[in-house]
Amino acid sequence: MGKIQDLKNAILVQLFKHLPWLAERWARGHQFVEGKGIPWAPLGKPLRESCIAMVTTAGVHLKSQPPFNMEDPDGDPTLRAFPADADKDDLTITHKYYDHSAADRDINVVLPIDRLRELTEEGFIGRIAPTLYSFMGHIDGPHLKTLMEETAPEVAERLLREGAEAVVLTPA
Amino acid sequence: MGLIQRVIEQRKIPTIGITLQKEVTMKVKPPRALFLRYPFGHPLGEAFHVRQQRTILIDALTGLETIREPGTILTPGYVWRRHAFD
Repeated sequence: MGKIQDLKNAILVQLFKHLPWLAERWARGHQFVEGKGIPWAPLGKPLRESCIAMVTTAGVHLKSQPPFNMEDPDGDPTLRAFPADADKDDLTITHKYYDHSAADRDINVVLPIDRLRELTEEGFIGRIAPTLYSFMGHIDGPHLKTLMEETAPEVAERLLREGAEAVVLTPA
Repeated sequence: MGLIQRVIEQRKIPTIGITLQKEVTMKVKPPRALFLRYPFGHPLGEAFHVRQQRTILIDALTGLETIREPGTILTPGYVWRRHAFD
C-alpha cells in the first residue's frame, strides 16, 4: 500500500477512535451481514465451575506466528491460535485499522488474560480453556465467506473439543 | 466479531461479546453483548487500569449467567476516563 494511502488510513483510524458519532454514522450506512434469528445456548453450570475461553478480533498473535495480511483491503480471514498460558512478552498485534498503542503496552486492554487468570485463582470461574483464538477484524468482501464457512466453524469445533463451556469475545 | 460469536453459539457454547459499536451489534444480532461507549482499541478500558479491566470482564462473565433474553445488550454506562472503578 502506498504512503499516501497509509497516511489516509492512519488519519481515519484516529478520527474513528476519537469521534464515536462518526463510527455510528458509518455503521448506519454500511452493509453488514444481518443476523436472522438469534442462536442461543444457556450456560450449563455456574461460572465458578465453568471452563471459559476467549476469542478476540484485535489481531493478537504470537511473535513467532505469521502476521495478519494488512495489504488486502478486505482483511485477512485466517486464524491464529496460541496457548492461554502464553507469555505476554511473546504476543504482538498486527492490525492497522485501529490504534493499538494502548494494547501494545498492556495486552489486557484487548485480551484480558491477566484478569482472567486472577479470576480463576479467586474461584470466580472454574478454569481457562487451553487455547486463545484470534482474528483480525475488518473482514469484508469474499473473505466473509471464508470466515463464516471455514475459520469461524473451525474455532467453534476446537473450542468444543477443548471443553470450553462459555466464551468471551473481545473486539479491537 | 458478532458473526464469529453467532457461529460459536450455534455449536451450543454460550457466548458474550464486548462491543464498542452498538449500531453494528444491533444489526448482526449476537446472543449476548456488553456495550461500552469507549474508543476503538479499548474494549477493556485503559492500559494498566486493573480495576477497570476487571470490572468489565466480570460484567461480561456475569452476563453469561444473568441474561435470559437472546439479543440482550448490557449497557453499564461507564464514562470513558471519568468513571471511578473503586
